[in-house]
Amino acid sequence: MSETFFGLEERILHTKDELAQREALLTSRGLTVPEGEELVLGLFDGEQLVATGALVRNVLQGIAVDMSHEGEGVAAAIVSSLIKRAVDRGITQIFLYTVSEDISRFENLGFSKVAAVPKGAALLEWGSAGIESYLSSLKALAEDKPDHAGAVVINCNPFTLGHRALIEYASSHVPWLYVLVVEEDRSLFPFRVRYRLVQEGVADLRNVTVMKGGPYIISSATFPTYFIRPDANEASQRAVRMHASLDVSIFRMHIAPALKVADRFVGTEPYCPTTSVYNEIMKIILQARETEAFGFDAKIPPVTVHEIPRFEIGGTPVSASKVRDMIREGNLSEVQKLVPKTTWDWLKSDEAVPVMERIRQSDSRH
Amino acid sequence: MRVLKSVTAGSLESSDVLVTIMPLSEDRIEYDIESIVIKQYGRRIRKVTEDMVEIAKITGARIHVQDRGALECTLRARLETAIERSIAC
Repeated sequence: MSETFFGLEERILHTKDELAQREALLTSRGLTVPEGEELVLGLFDGEQLVATGALVRNVLQGIAVDMSHEGEGVAAAIVSSLIKRAVDRGITQIFLYTVSEDISRFENLGFSKVAAVPKGAALLEWGSAGIESYLSSLKALAEDKPDHAGAVVINCNPFTLGHRALIEYASSHVPWLYVLVVEEDRSLFPFRVRYRLVQEGVADLRNVTVMKGGPYIISSATFPTYFIRPDANEASQRAVRMHASLDVSIFRMHIAPALKVADRFVGTEPYCPTTSVYNEIMKIILQARETEAFGFDAKIPPVTVHEIPRFEIGGTPVSASKVRDMIREGNLSEVQKLVPKTTWDWLKSDEAVPVMERIRQSDSRH
Repeated sequence: MRVLKSVTAGSLESSDVLVTIMPLSEDRIEYDIESIVIKQYGRRIRKVTEDMVEIAKITGARIHVQDRGALECTLRARLETAIERSIAC
């Protein structure tokens, strides 16, 4: 199925030759090929590719127009087509990645800026700012809470004694603690289960609110590379750094002020290179006093990052990935030592059967 | 008539309008009107949109109109198409 715009033909790119043309077009506009893309569109003038754009889950990226066709509405055509295809798939919260120099082009097409790193990446969202309504819900939640709060952002795949130790430590150092559970459903334990096990695991702590992380914290929009196995190559490492920078910028600029958060607590990361890069960038961006280089207002207060050594049992750091490894190896008696009773009870329940089976079959990092 | 699925009609090209209709779980209509000429024509765009939604008697929807300077006949055509698609099984 193809459509035409001003005599240009739209096609989904499949062949090696088409994808090579597309890479050349992206490179000529200073862009790189996005990771994990699902749908790549092209507009052709005869056999020449003049515009391209891709849909990766709910994020439009890799949008480029050949110099010879600039200013002819070709970008609008490709963006419209990508939006249509996303909506057809039932996706209505749509984001767009670009470089910060190109923000205004996409603002003219009805996107609004969420965050941008100067001379780096920018994240925009489609339509009128969804982040505003998200932030008002956070402000409403924080209204009757103390003015000085802390935050922990965790995936908990599943909730272990390590998470418990981090939350316990954090909650004893701030008047109020928000625990934001990564909502993106791409982990072996479904979000619904991860969320419930966190709630049950910290139910005795009086000054803790467990909440959904929402679309602006470690999501397919803010941090897509978090969910894929990282490549050692340089481009992929750059992508991880770029996404991590955007994610923590959004936290400092928007989320921390809305929740009145002045401290963020993280565990040291002994195993996962992506998370350890994330922690390193978090320390730089959240704590920076000179804010100009990061593109946000100097009035936005810094957030102190507390990196807490991983909770250890018998000299080994406790982590969710260890727990999953043990499940994979069938070593359940060892699992019991690493998780609180609430998680253990769930792991033994009927509900856990399909999840346990999936873990045994999978070699996914998450 | 309840809106059953998310649909679009039109485009973001100049002189066109992109209409998106998304189902809501509640029985109400939510409007989100954007236009590059919102100051001059915002009220008219809203009136045309609301009238067409009312005539079609649809409910449970968010109607997102992103106008890029479309003529009124274009807006009406895009709205009509989107509404038809949103209630088709």
